[in-house]
Amino acid sequence: MPTAQPPAPRDGVEVADPWAAIEACYAKGWTDGLPVVPPTELLVDAMLAAGPWKPHDVLLHEPVRDRAVTAEKAAINAVMAGCLPAYFPVVGAALQAIGDSSFMLHGPATSTGGAALMVVVNGPIRERLGLNAKTNLFGPGSRANATIGRSLRLVLLNCLDCRPGILDKSTQGWAGKYSLCFAEDEASSPWEPLHVSRGFAAGQSTVTVFAAESGHNVLSHGTADPEQLLTCFADAMAGLGSLSPGRTVIVFAPEHAGHLRRAGWTRPRTQQWLYDHAWRSLADLKRGGKVEPAFYASPALVDWLFMDAPAGRPAMLPGPGEAGRVLDGDETVRVHRGLGPEDILLTVGGGDAGGHSAFFPSWSRGRSVSFVTKEIPA
Amino acid sequence: MTRILDPTLRSPAAEAAVARAPRKASLDGATIGLLANGKSNGMALLDRIVERLRERHRIGDVVRVAKTNASAPVTDGDAEMLAVRCAAVITAIGD
Repeated sequence: MPTAQPPAPRDGVEVADPWAAIEACYAKGWTDGLPVVPPTELLVDAMLAAGPWKPHDVLLHEPVRDRAVTAEKAAINAVMAGCLPAYFPVVGAALQAIGDSSFMLHGPATSTGGAALMVVVNGPIRERLGLNAKTNLFGPGSRANATIGRSLRLVLLNCLDCRPGILDKSTQGWAGKYSLCFAEDEASSPWEPLHVSRGFAAGQSTVTVFAAESGHNVLSHGTADPEQLLTCFADAMAGLGSLSPGRTVIVFAPEHAGHLRRAGWTRPRTQQWLYDHAWRSLADLKRGGKVEPAFYASPALVDWLFMDAPAGRPAMLPGPGEAGRVLDGDETVRVHRGLGPEDILLTVGGGDAGGHSAFFPSWSRGRSVSFVTKEIPA
Repeated sequence: MTRILDPTLRSPAAEAAVARAPRKASLDGATIGLLANGKSNGMALLDRIVERLRERHRIGDVVRVAKTNASAPVTDGDAEMLAVRCAAVITAIGD
């Protein structure tokens, strides 16, 4: 009768006690700067058992450096992040989402831009796990929000070597890189839940991921008029500092969402209005030094600059030394944020009190990455 | 004692699985591949390196490939072409 090979021992270290384990994780460079829960075999096995994956199933493959993150490695990092086992299906789905080829993880994981991995959770799992969609949803206080988002960062640090100064070259980074996971406040949304708008059923649970620069607070307490209100959002979106052909996430506070609901504004109308109004003139871009000589060598960026130009794309493009010179007609060329209304993802979250919403730009000066939505396994 | 598991992919077994290619004894006459990551100045940086190499070695042809997107891997076709044509390949990021 054949005997099964005993499983190879899993890589690890022996430590005297839990306190020594916490320090050992620091000493080995396995943390994000905060203490971690020591990943004992018992805890890791419980984490793995809560998901549908086998230990060696690959949840995330990063093709540029050919790194494969297995369910077991994901579970170790989820334990360290402080996740309860019940959170593991969300962590696994989020890893699958950031591993989607359209997300092109290598850029947001390593670039000077310093993107955070935003995870928006929809569906029934939000309540089961106690994911916060309300007061302070981007801030501290919810174990599920904090630890699910942190799991992704620990996977990047530990499995993809995205350590500051090594592979993570973020010029500044931002606090969302520790963790940026929240639930959509579906009940406060004027529209169908985000995941339903992206082709899933209301009864499914999903993650939607985005590589986000730091959020901008869009403050408006003085109006319920949709066009006045959205003017503040379009203005934030058109800021020269972050203007790009990239995508946008808007998280409407319930108060702002209520104004849109009562006025009967649909999701497509809101997206269209924001796209139409979030622009700067080509002259403004040039005055801000935002039109780099290299842009004219990129057909995609030239298309972006001139897609809404009254005279269309010029027959002759400026030479490298002329890229930033304001020309006749540049004041009338509108350069929009993104390539169309579908580049603006609208979601809802926050406390019931307060006119504070958020605009999150994409991470790069180029087109950057897509939104990716994946189902969370039951 | 408590055993804690390694969260990284850097186990000795994993690192041993990727061996370094043999080093070239000489670059005389060698075709050099340049793989720029697609950022604005990647190829400019690589061209400077080639200038320096020419000062020290009698290198042969230079084959240039620039990725269209710095976040994406090099295409299989480009990787195959570089592997077939070049004795050595230099890659760089330049922003």
